[in-house]
Amino acid sequence: MKCRTLVAVALGSVCGFALWASIYSPQVSAQTNESPKPVYNPYPKGILPPDLNSEIARVLREVDLVESRAITRWHNLKPPILTGQPPVLKNTGTEATETLGELMMFDKHISPDKNQACASCHMPYAGFSGPIPSVNLTMIAYPGTVHFRAGKRTAQRHTYSPFFPVLQYNQEDNLFFGGNFWDSRSTGYLLRSPDAQQAQGPPVDTQEMGFPDTACVAFRLAHAVYRPLFEEIWGKGSLDINFPSETEQICATPGGAAVFKGNTTPVPLSPSDRTLANTAYDHWGQSIASYQQSVQVSAFSSKFDAFLVGKYTMTADELAGFKLFNGKGNCNSCHVDGRGTNLTQGQIDTSNTAQVNPLFTCFGSANEGVPLNPRDAFYYQDKPDPYGFTPNPYGFGYVDLGLGGFLRSGFGSAPNPNASWRKLAPTVDGQMQVATARNAALAPTQCSTTEAPGPYFQKEFFHNGYMKSLKQLVHFYNTRDKYAYPVLSGHCPAGTTEKVDCWPVPEVPNNVDMTTGNLGLTDEEENQIVKFLETLSDGFTRPYRNRDTFTGACMKGGSAATQGNEFLIPTPPLPPCASAICGVAPVPNPPIRPPLSE
Amino acid sequence: MNRVILLLAISVLSGSLLAQESPRTKKAPHVRIIQGPKIELARQNLTIIRWTTNNPGGDPVHYGIVHYGTSPGKLLETAQSPIRLDPDHASAVFRVRLDNLKTRTTYYYRVDSIEASGERDGLTSGLSHFSTP
Repeated sequence: MKCRTLVAVALGSVCGFALWASIYSPQVSAQTNESPKPVYNPYPKGILPPDLNSEIARVLREVDLVESRAITRWHNLKPPILTGQPPVLKNTGTEATETLGELMMFDKHISPDKNQACASCHMPYAGFSGPIPSVNLTMIAYPGTVHFRAGKRTAQRHTYSPFFPVLQYNQEDNLFFGGNFWDSRSTGYLLRSPDAQQAQGPPVDTQEMGFPDTACVAFRLAHAVYRPLFEEIWGKGSLDINFPSETEQICATPGGAAVFKGNTTPVPLSPSDRTLANTAYDHWGQSIASYQQSVQVSAFSSKFDAFLVGKYTMTADELAGFKLFNGKGNCNSCHVDGRGTNLTQGQIDTSNTAQVNPLFTCFGSANEGVPLNPRDAFYYQDKPDPYGFTPNPYGFGYVDLGLGGFLRSGFGSAPNPNASWRKLAPTVDGQMQVATARNAALAPTQCSTTEAPGPYFQKEFFHNGYMKSLKQLVHFYNTRDKYAYPVLSGHCPAGTTEKVDCWPVPEVPNNVDMTTGNLGLTDEEENQIVKFLETLSDGFTRPYRNRDTFTGACMKGGSAATQGNEFLIPTPPLPPCASAICGVAPVPNPPIRPPLSE
Repeated sequence: MNRVILLLAISVLSGSLLAQESPRTKKAPHVRIIQGPKIELARQNLTIIRWTTNNPGGDPVHYGIVHYGTSPGKLLETAQSPIRLDPDHASAVFRVRLDNLKTRTTYYYRVDSIEASGERDGLTSGLSHFSTP
């Protein structure tokens, strides 16, 4: 009886949980304002940070604060006037749409347990990346609505993500461009906006916001306080959907639950109501993309932007870093800065800026040869949770093939809408999106930097969070091959220091980009590039909205070179790559982690 | 005003305003090795061969290719690694990873390079050799 009370909707898995819980003693318990929820904790001791509950609660308070600010701004906004043909929301239509997107992004009700907003993993003070320092140091993927299912990659910064084009294979360049997400799986093929499609992912990602059905988003929007604004923008009646009485119960049950038997549209709707719900879901994505492209998020307000128009004079180190960025460091071969390149010392750059506001990305993808991070929470979720869902049945047999995985419609990615791309998968295995360098260094007001000794805000870099500082990131590009060792993370030889003079082998050895890896930069030159990267943080020419909302603690002490090294753990012996991943045609060439018999 | 329009038209036609295209360099008529090839790194699990050419231009991504083997007349193995050209660099550094070679073995090799499309840059290199530790 007690079991049924605990998990009213996951009937089949209730008593199994009691047995399961006796086997897996959780180190961290779920804490919510409502009735206790079953906790999923398949993790060995030390994978989940001890302050996880209090940090989740802290971020939720911050999310609520930003939401309340957005509500105030909405209430103070003069309503737009619908006029013209085609109709336009005249005067305040832009701000109204962006405000709607902000209200949505900070709405924790868009999750089964009403405990997770998009912003739970993407806060302004972190450049819209992960807001919990201890998570960035340990499990790297963020816990979702079900505590503690977690994703597989770091929470990607989404400032400037709306500027990425629809994913295209350019047949002249023979390269992929565009898309959103680390593996570019949000192609934008339908909405023509990868960012809008990206915003449609997390609400129904089983390990993130976790709805079982996209219609649940429309259902919660229909009950949102900002519904009048939604209807003002997207039309009266746009949320007039006849939801059956059991909708709340269905939407309070996380996706992947065994009770759904694989059904991804468990909310029973008539065809016309399903169409309305789908349209509302498109508007959800488009509204959030509008917010993310607004000057509040993609602000172009950095020192570098001021420098471009002659309103900021770089320091000697920043300027030296800039010259290294597009010179000896060769960073701008991917993080395009809109300027020419000077390889020769003393050469004067006479080239023009190709764009007024360079985005510091080529919109492409690359495999930089980042080592496997054994702290990634995804590897440990190989057992069923209380709802009967197993996030990663392959454990350490999972290999993150990035763009290659997506082209195969592979496990952990999304269906590929363009069959002609599939044959290209082996040429892009291991490739991840080239993120904009903008806001990589953005940190809360009071912490001011991402680099030890600080006071600093602990971030994580690359798709698997292996790097813990920008210094490490630059040092990796500089010395990856110089200090290459045939070891996995946590196993560097005695006398060496991981990330300083020992780099473990790449997680995916195929297609490793060799543009960098042995740049010959000095220690001082690395630091100068970091200084330049810090000029790319928004908030210099005007305040960056909601950067002031961080209420956690800054960190102090140590060195940026070894920042977070105290949390390194030995990678366990790796099994072969699961056949469900590396056995999907066209298979990786050469094979990745093949079985020993091969 | 006309000049602005002309510049805009040139920009559009040259692709610099098209987000889906990387900046390109005109394809070089002849690609030649300026430096190397040489062994940049030789460890038990990893050998890196490096050489520099004039900027070959064309596709933004090129592949360095090493044909190698234990007999000078039988270079039956191939390794290739991508690099990304910088259109404003006069030269391009190719670096290729050779994984898991046999220890204490002499290998012979020639280098080559291709565009991402698979088209050869037309490089000619002599036969070289190295020994693994």
